[in-house]
Amino acid sequence: MDLERDLRTLELAWPETPELRLELAPRARRRRRPLLVAVALALAALAAALAVPQSRGSILRFLHLGGVTIERVDQLPAARERPLGAGLGPVVTQAQAREALRHALVLPPLAPPPPLHLEQGVVSLVFADRGEPVLLSELNVGSDAAILKKVVGGSTSVVSLQVDGGPGFWIAGEHVFLFPSAPPRLAGNVLLWQAHGLTLRLEGRALTLARARELAGLLRKE
Amino acid sequence: MRAQRGDERAYGELVRAHQEIAFRVAYLITRNAADAEDAAQDGLVKAWRALGRFRAVEPLRPWLLRIVANEARNRRRSAGRREHLALRAAASPGEAAPSPEEAAVDADERRRLLAALDELPEQARLALACRYLLGLSEDETAAALGVRRGTVKSRSARALERLREGYGPRA
Repeated sequence: MDLERDLRTLELAWPETPELRLELAPRARRRRRPLLVAVALALAALAAALAVPQSRGSILRFLHLGGVTIERVDQLPAARERPLGAGLGPVVTQAQAREALRHALVLPPLAPPPPLHLEQGVVSLVFADRGEPVLLSELNVGSDAAILKKVVGGSTSVVSLQVDGGPGFWIAGEHVFLFPSAPPRLAGNVLLWQAHGLTLRLEGRALTLARARELAGLLRKE
Repeated sequence: MRAQRGDERAYGELVRAHQEIAFRVAYLITRNAADAEDAAQDGLVKAWRALGRFRAVEPLRPWLLRIVANEARNRRRSAGRREHLALRAAASPGEAAPSPEEAAVDADERRRLLAALDELPEQARLALACRYLLGLSEDETAAALGVRRGTVKSRSARALERLREGYGPRA
């Protein structure tokens, strides 16, 4: 056993290196919690509005599906392209992920299963499909603080559809994805749907709706 | 050195050349990406302000890493969520793995090794992480950890022994 060689060849999932700049003026401190609070308040308002049928007309710019909001805006907020695996949280065991979701996991049929990441109630994993990375995120609608937000521009296509009998959306084109505790990031094509008692999200830059549906059909409860 | 004469652009090029290693050193110390970003950012600004005191005959990287690591140590003391080091996502079945079985065993061994490294006491873990995960030289590791080169050597040797005990081959 060559321990030193083994250590050198470990491939770590380092967080993405940020672009560092020579900022000589004091910087404003990052404010992460207020963003979550703002999103949570928006969701609370949304839920209240949805509870009153006659008010639906005033919230046409929002869509909501199991802990995820989709907001259409005129101009997308500033965001950068980042790796799909960035900011997903630490790697956890299946048991830890299951406990966080309070629900059985849904996994692609890969051996070994890809590492699971957990961030504020959202379980994520990245796997390769036909040579392209795909991100699968799972959240239980009832889990605490599990809030994802997608901001779409005027040219982004959002289609409501059924996936395996459950409600869903196909989002194609440039949009911004807000993940808990991670900077906004430009997202690829996304299938968002509810199945197996969870809200599920598949994302890949090369993902087509047909392939996303196939992958959705391959997912199995652990 | 142009940067020492106040050329911000030249310094910007230096920052770009070293930002990844600076960020990763800070991440190893803080175990938090946001804290590491702040530490690296502020460390590089401090380094710019202290550039006049840098002796151009010495290598720049250890000097930069020392400043950034100091910033990271200051931030580590604040409360915050600590992240675990993680391996890159498993390779896809279609990639160059010899077979799914061998790939599974290899992935498992790598996960066990990282877990054993993660369980080492902090000084030992940092010494090995700087030397082997980041590939820093002994001098650079000494600068980042704020210790002498000889301390890096002895600390690394002891840490490897401990790691061997915690991560033996499977029976």
